[in-house]
Amino acid sequence: MSSPWKAGTPAHRRYIARTIGFMVPYMALCIAMMVTDAFDQIMGGPAAWVLAAVVSTPVIGQIWATLSLMRESDEFVRAVTAKQFIVAAGLAMAAATFWGFGETFAGAPHLPAWLIYPLFWGAFGLVSPFIRDSNA
Amino acid sequence: MKNRLKLLRTEKGWTQADLGDQLGVSRQAVNALETEKHDPSLDLAYRIASLFDRPVEDIFENPHG
Repeated sequence: MSSPWKAGTPAHRRYIARTIGFMVPYMALCIAMMVTDAFDQIMGGPAAWVLAAVVSTPVIGQIWATLSLMRESDEFVRAVTAKQFIVAAGLAMAAATFWGFGETFAGAPHLPAWLIYPLFWGAFGLVSPFIRDSNA
Repeated sequence: MKNRLKLLRTEKGWTQADLGDQLGVSRQAVNALETEKHDPSLDLAYRIASLFDRPVEDIFENPHG
């Protein structure tokens, strides 16, 4: 098993397990939508809304996993996680706002709104190594 | 917040993980306290004081006093 797994607290190990549990089906669905035509036949129909809801469920699950990590951890981990989450969410919202206005007024090519989720976690991964203290 | 936590811990011969176990916090939290990257809550400060049997002011420097 990896070093972070051994070095982490039990709450961190549960968080990793929950993250894998939510990310694997999310990624599998996203990849299936992009590389196969399995979903093309439901496009435009009610089933497409069901699919949208199914893909969104792991997103909600991942937020629950993060809140669970904070609830099950000590005050330092709780504060650092909240700080990382706020900075990553802010960056993702800023990027989405920038691009959205670019699409509306500057002729930028359209990007699907669901990209905000991988963008957020990308930002989370980028900022986390630099946010290691709980002070605001 | 400046503190004498590392000194007091090493005097006891404890690792950060040992101290974390006794306080009910992670090793990372102990490290953050010792390196002044985390100001403890009042509850944690009192737990630390109780563990070392010292007043809080003996361990954490009062930044306002």
